[in-house]
Amino acid sequence: MTSYFPLFLCALLFLSGCGNNPHPPPLHETRPDGTPWRVSYRGFPDDPRTLDPQVSYDTTGHAIISSIYESPLQYHPFKTDPYELMPCLLDEMPQRIKENGGRETYLFKLKKGLTFHDDPCFVASGGVGREVTAEDMAYVFKRIGDPKVECPILSTLQDYVVGLKEAYEEARKTGTFDYSKPMPGIEVIDRYSFRLRMIKPYPQILYWFAMPFTAPVPREAVEYYDGKIHKRVQREQFKFHPVGTGAFRLAEWRRKGLIRLARFDRYNATTFPTGGWPAADDVRFRPMAGKPIPFLDEIQLPIIRESIPAWLLFRQGYTDRSGVGKDIFNTVISMSQELTPEYRARGIELYKDPEPSTYFLIFNMEDPVVGKNRKLRQAISSAFDEELANSIFHNDTYLNAQQLLPPGVFGHQPKFQNPFKQHDLALARKLMIEAGYPEGRDARSGKQLELALDATVDDPESRQHAEFYRSQFETLGIKLKIVENTWSRQQEKFDTGHFQIIGYGWQADYPDPENFFFLFYSRNAAPQGNNYARYANPEFDGVFEQMRTMDDTPERLNLIYKLNDIITEDCPWVLEVHPVLFSLNQVWAPRVSSNPLLAGGSKYTNVDVELRNRKLLEWNRPILWPLWLALGAVVVAVGFGIRWNRRHDV
Amino acid sequence: MSALQNILIFAGAAFVVIACGLFWRSERWQRARARFQGDRVGIISLLIVVFYGLVGLMDSVQLSAHGKEMSMIEYMFRNTPNERGYSAPYADTTYAVNRPEPLKGRHWFGTDVLGRDVLVQTLRACRTALIIGGLTSFIYIPLGTIFGIAAGYYKRWVDDVIQYVYSTLACVPGILLLIAIIMVLENVNIPLWNGDTIQIPRLVQMSLALGITSWVGLCRLIRGDTLRQVERPYVEAARALGQSNWNIITRHILPNVMHLVLINFVLGFSGLVMSEAILSYIGIGAPVGTASWGTMIDSARMELAREPAVWWNFTAAAGALFFLVLSLNLLGDSLRRAFDPRASGK
Repeated sequence: MTSYFPLFLCALLFLSGCGNNPHPPPLHETRPDGTPWRVSYRGFPDDPRTLDPQVSYDTTGHAIISSIYESPLQYHPFKTDPYELMPCLLDEMPQRIKENGGRETYLFKLKKGLTFHDDPCFVASGGVGREVTAEDMAYVFKRIGDPKVECPILSTLQDYVVGLKEAYEEARKTGTFDYSKPMPGIEVIDRYSFRLRMIKPYPQILYWFAMPFTAPVPREAVEYYDGKIHKRVQREQFKFHPVGTGAFRLAEWRRKGLIRLARFDRYNATTFPTGGWPAADDVRFRPMAGKPIPFLDEIQLPIIRESIPAWLLFRQGYTDRSGVGKDIFNTVISMSQELTPEYRARGIELYKDPEPSTYFLIFNMEDPVVGKNRKLRQAISSAFDEELANSIFHNDTYLNAQQLLPPGVFGHQPKFQNPFKQHDLALARKLMIEAGYPEGRDARSGKQLELALDATVDDPESRQHAEFYRSQFETLGIKLKIVENTWSRQQEKFDTGHFQIIGYGWQADYPDPENFFFLFYSRNAAPQGNNYARYANPEFDGVFEQMRTMDDTPERLNLIYKLNDIITEDCPWVLEVHPVLFSLNQVWAPRVSSNPLLAGGSKYTNVDVELRNRKLLEWNRPILWPLWLALGAVVVAVGFGIRWNRRHDV
Repeated sequence: MSALQNILIFAGAAFVVIACGLFWRSERWQRARARFQGDRVGIISLLIVVFYGLVGLMDSVQLSAHGKEMSMIEYMFRNTPNERGYSAPYADTTYAVNRPEPLKGRHWFGTDVLGRDVLVQTLRACRTALIIGGLTSFIYIPLGTIFGIAAGYYKRWVDDVIQYVYSTLACVPGILLLIAIIMVLENVNIPLWNGDTIQIPRLVQMSLALGITSWVGLCRLIRGDTLRQVERPYVEAARALGQSNWNIITRHILPNVMHLVLINFVLGFSGLVMSEAILSYIGIGAPVGTASWGTMIDSARMELAREPAVWWNFTAAAGALFFLVLSLNLLGDSLRRAFDPRASGK
């Protein structure tokens, strides 16, 4: 007995560490005033590839970066139809000044007293973050132009910002970017003001100022975190060690494990909005109006790659929010597309947000068959049963795309009915006859029309999609060959144009019609641009050039309608859907911002820690009866064993 | 195209019949046939395998009917309508929780996500399995037999080289090698006489890859048996009579190892059918538009996880695969007993 006692104690010690909670302990249990430390837990799909705001161009990266860095502007958290920009690091919205010769400049004024997060890179101040100045914004634009940084928006901005292209070319030639040299496009006026000089009008530039690409970074941090060894200690690279101005700082990043963000105590860039929320939420948001943010002390983002474990953690209450995947859709969402009674009873909130994006099939306009036969394209579009596709693949949740522009974008027409998107088989067959392919056969040769669709078929769902496309073309007697590509080969085909029909989707960089219609602008044709259909229509180009630089006026609206009509008639795409994102929040962490373009909405959210603790206990009561049952079975078995032994005198 | 396909299919079937007929008259095969006729399990298995073969053959034969080309299976089920999504076996409505819709017809095995009859899909997948099994066997059996006999008969450096080759191949994990070969073959473009290029069809890619990786086992087996055969008096007698090596191999050794080939073919076939399902499951299998048990099982990953679960697609594919593989294995065992009763303990 004595020899087993230490073992027994060790086992007890290990068992005492067991618990249901999968999260590591928070940084603190309580705030200095004794109130509970507010931690939000959110499952995160993967490690971001980089946290450099001038480099990251994916939703995973932006979701973290937008909490750590602030940009000069931001989207209003509540205004989505239409979307609206508001100052963030700026004192006011930038002033647009028209100059002689058609040129424009923008005057920006930063708020005073904004500081970077505290970090050892600020050697001069002993690690205390210094104030953000206009020089930091000039530094940002120099980084955008530095070939070594590889900023993905350089190709767009260099056509508009004075001197950016020249600076980039010079650095490419010499091999180094001269940061000491002023860039003519950015003029620092004083400590807090700077002027941006444009080559030509581009009102959409303001949207880029609401994205992380233009978030100020301290030059000290970029130079300090070089990934090299200093005094026998290897420093991280800047892309893994962000130093920003946002409401949260990066406290911990365990790869494939956890990202922990902690509140930045000196954050003062923004406060909770004083209005703009839906009238129905007035009672909820009014008390928060104008209050300092963030409300949270800490955000834990455990990396959970698989959807089912992520969902199970949410269901148990260990994460505060979740998406509604296809696999669990029917357990959570009822016939009326609301929460099922089980989840409604838990107080979970369901949100449905249309995303500013459109999915479609592209016809190659240079193809001799589909590109030169408008009636054929119209017929295919008319035959497509989008309602069925929506039911099969999206649980009837997506919006059937009748036009290029998704809801919320200026120029979207809610009542517009595309004549070639009504799943009208009679019309489709009539158009096929006019196209020269009655019943899907060439009227001259009698041969069945055979078309090819390029797709990446790498999972069951994409295979089902491809099969669905085949069935849709079959309704017109067209034989559709699916050309299966790897992802990289598919990208190559977009650029080379070696396809007849290909699937694609476009998510807006910013909610402006220019960011959608430019997909048909002939000067934006692939491989240099994103006009993968190779659509070229001088009439369209003329109207687009007029529309692209206008402010949102009724005149612009008329031009947008005209562009829409041209595209509808020419049918270079088969429009499919505008996605709608279904998401869930726990009762103790209701969502605040409804704007899908605002990636840094965490600063507005809050959690009711006490309610969460109560619900966790309630939802995760241990089920002990199987244990007792098993124990009983063991006792009975042992009893029988002893009795049997005694009887048989073993 | 359909005429060419029909010719190829019948040529393939004729080849199998002739190959069996060539050895049918030998005394050993006659004795085996007599023993096999008394094996009830073997006969039932054979009937099931023949049924699968007929179904596969029926889906391969193309007809022109109602203005379009269709296979015999499609023709038989031409009145089976497509529905608007899942429906359970023999249900009245679609399996949609939100908006169930009445079905246009009855479906014994239900319908899949695109509303296609699962029974038809299951039957049509026989063809894919048989094409993979048949074409691969067509590649690996000659390879394994020729190399096995050559290694066992000539010995010395021939044996060494062949052993080195198959030992090297056997060192690489099978599934990785398969994936690598298929990835390479995907990028091979064959130039045509008119200047165009075509890719190797996916099923042929799979068969080539499986063929390259499958011959090692048969080669080892044949090599071992050939080593045994060359020591036997009838080979020595043939040598003494001045028979050429070619004659000794083709007239004496080959007929005496052919039963091993047959057993290996039958047992290997089931493995190949499984491989097709596995390759389709990992996404490098049958192309879009080709019915396959593997892709049906692959879809079940999502279907079984959803609520309510869709089980019939998986059940039909797994059931069809199970019965074919089981029958092939039992048939293989029966053939082994028939050809080599002592080894089987009878």
